Amino acid sequence: MGRYILKRFLMMLMTIFIIATLTFFLMHAVPGSPLETERTTNETIQANLEKFYKLDQPLYIQYFDYMKSLATFDFGPSIKDPNRTVNELLERGFPISFELGIITIIIAVLSGVLLGILAALRHNKLLDYGAMAFAVIGISIPNFVMATLLIQQLAVTWDIFPPATWKSPMHMVLPVLALATGPMAIIARLTRSSMLEVLTQDYIKMARAKGIKPVRIVFRHALRNAMMPVVTIMGTLLAGILTGTFVIEKIFAIPGMGKYFVDSINNRDYPVIMGTTVFYSAFLIFMLFLVDIVYGILDPRIKLHKKEGDV
Amino acid sequence: MKKWLVLFLMAMMAFVLAACTASQDAGEEPAEGEEGTAAETGGEKILRLNNAQEPTSFDPSIGFDAVSWNALNNLMEGLTRLDENSQPVEATAESIDISEDGKTYTFKIREDANWSNGETVKASDFVFGWRHMLDPETASPAAFLGYFIEGAEAYNTGEGSAEDVKVVAEDDKTLVVTLTAPTEAFLNIITNPNFFPIHEATATENPEWHTEAESFVGNGPFKLASWSHDEEFVFEKNEEYWDAANVKLDGVHWAMVNDTNTEYQMYQADELDVSSVPAELSEDLMESPEISILDQAGTYFYRYNVEEEPFTNKKVRQAFAFAVNQEDIVQYVTKNGEKPAHGFTSYGFEGPDGNDFRDTAGDLVKFDAEKAKQLLEEGMQEEGWETLPEVTLTFSTSDTHQIIAETLQDQFKQTLGVDVKLQSVESAVFAEEQSAFEYQASRSSFLHDYADPVNALESFITGSSMNRTQWSNPEFDQLIADAKTETDSQVRWEKLIEAEKLLMDEMPIFPIHFYNQVQLQKEGVSGVLRHPVGYLDLKNADKQ
Repeated sequence: MGRYILKRFLMMLMTIFIIATLTFFLMHAVPGSPLETERTTNETIQANLEKFYKLDQPLYIQYFDYMKSLATFDFGPSIKDPNRTVNELLERGFPISFELGIITIIIAVLSGVLLGILAALRHNKLLDYGAMAFAVIGISIPNFVMATLLIQQLAVTWDIFPPATWKSPMHMVLPVLALATGPMAIIARLTRSSMLEVLTQDYIKMARAKGIKPVRIVFRHALRNAMMPVVTIMGTLLAGILTGTFVIEKIFAIPGMGKYFVDSINNRDYPVIMGTTVFYSAFLIFMLFLVDIVYGILDPRIKLHKKEGDV
Repeated sequence: MKKWLVLFLMAMMAFVLAACTASQDAGEEPAEGEEGTAAETGGEKILRLNNAQEPTSFDPSIGFDAVSWNALNNLMEGLTRLDENSQPVEATAESIDISEDGKTYTFKIREDANWSNGETVKASDFVFGWRHMLDPETASPAAFLGYFIEGAEAYNTGEGSAEDVKVVAEDDKTLVVTLTAPTEAFLNIITNPNFFPIHEATATENPEWHTEAESFVGNGPFKLASWSHDEEFVFEKNEEYWDAANVKLDGVHWAMVNDTNTEYQMYQADELDVSSVPAELSEDLMESPEISILDQAGTYFYRYNVEEEPFTNKKVRQAFAFAVNQEDIVQYVTKNGEKPAHGFTSYGFEGPDGNDFRDTAGDLVKFDAEKAKQLLEEGMQEEGWETLPEVTLTFSTSDTHQIIAETLQDQFKQTLGVDVKLQSVESAVFAEEQSAFEYQASRSSFLHDYADPVNALESFITGSSMNRTQWSNPEFDQLIADAKTETDSQVRWEKLIEAEKLLMDEMPIFPIHFYNQVQLQKEGVSGVLRHPVGYLDLKNADKQ
């Protein structure tokens, strides 16, 4: 187990290194420059700026300099926000994005699994149809449309929640709902179908015959197996929520990381592009790694070290 | 357990149903939301604005954009300030003496002009601030605005020294500035935040003084009370300000919401006092009693590349320009209350004769189908073309640019019978390729840096980085050069008008519309100044 984790960890570092290198050269290959705008000032000023940000150096020198500072977790200065380093931007933005993401995941998983179980237990009854209709609606409405509907209805018309920003728990309700609906619906559908399958299996019948309480059967015996497909897609859902926050943060004016990520690309703010990309990918890779470990805990049949050959 | 689940599910269903009903009448919502109630601010007058983004920098020399300078303009103050007619008047300076030759300015700074920390504003603070701006190490993008001052350009380009810049503090309250040439707009130019003073002791001790509210020292009507980065910042009235008696607001709260739809919804939910107008709603909201439409000095236009066929021919350039119906575009396409542009220089510049520059120059290009057709025919004959070389219009990706380009495509087809192609390019790529002259005809914009027609016209002198058309005309260059050194303002004005006419005759560009500033503002808010050129001024703003 320890060896496996170490190996996976080294692979993670390797992946991040490759991502950083690719991003660096791709971003410089794209035409445009952080200093070129509609309102170009004179050449001296342009040269002063280039020198200031070391953009006048050859690309390979910039690359080695960057990799060197990356190794010490120094992401460098932002070009568009000259008073702050990329590290500061990440320190400021990430906790907020993380908060939004983690609340969303908890809400999505809890409500999705509950909804799925409920639908499975009431198979082909009104509740089942209701839950699945709800799930289809949830999957079909993109989160940005959901966000606008929520703001218009719950914030502007009924005035229950504040329309935007991120200050109190009340401010969190709408963005979390908008972001959680899609993943929740997917989880609900998956839970339902795998639950239906598991409930027909012999060991469940056996448990029933033994007179174990239905609630215990569902949550202790059936759910554990039924959760496997849900855990499998957690990785994809995490990536979805991570990218979903870009849009939701913009709509709700949440000062998270998504803004830096999107704006940096439009502005060709090289250090911020690098910083956010490397950070996001490191985070995602780490989360996938965690999902893998959870997988093993849920199903002891899957031995982590057996997977070495596949990876 | 089961009952709880049923309840939960029902709550979820109710919510979905609510969301569905919302979508049916969403279109009608705005009309309802307009009756904003007066804000409850506990008796204090707090104006709530949206700055869209984190200010680039509150270092006066760095934040060369509206998101920095709209706020900074109220935290600090230069020697002069724009009044309600957008004319420069004395601010930190009490009196201004201009020498006979128009080159030397002597400013007397008010005795009671203080910094927010209680210290007095000294002439040396201006010297310090201006040298900071011109220092090549600062890499200020706005340093070129200081080139009117003798020695400034040399210092900024690394050829001179700070001591050679002719900005001298004769004593604590006297500042003497020498210009390279008489510059009529100088008092206007120095209203720009770039020319604000910097509290020398603070900045020397802590070069990062402008990055946090705690260390920020200003001399304007408001002081920076708190600044939560990327979220909001708060102004409080600055009691140390020399004219504090006339500042009516107790404070200003600035949100940072970078989405016009969200901004508008916050305005409707009464969380903001001022909002911009989402593009999709502009047509409906134009009639609102809360709307304010003001000129902004700047032009939306297309550049030709005069080195690429068919725009090598002047008559072809003119033909395309005369085929554009600017009135139709502003009325039916942009629908944002802009004024159609029949020349390059926008409205809002009054000459020595009291007339607006634009009115004196007249309508130099106006939709004329017959003339356009004839010009195209003549142009093609001159060049000996049987068919017109293919034309592509390029613009940076945006919905507004797209619909305007599509309208132009249609108008060229209707009037000239020419099929032009459209190309949409990502904006950073667009900026680079346009500067490299890779487009035949491309969308552009110009916004004034200072309030004088010469600022717009000098864009097209040979070698200017704003030119980007490859057009070069010695006569035009000469007119601009002459206007810049001319001491007689009437003669200077005539030269500029001549330059404008020449530009519109040679037509390296064709104009579409002038910019404006459209805002929704709650009833009860007054005195917020927005100038055609310049930044938001809240000094006399009030809120009922």
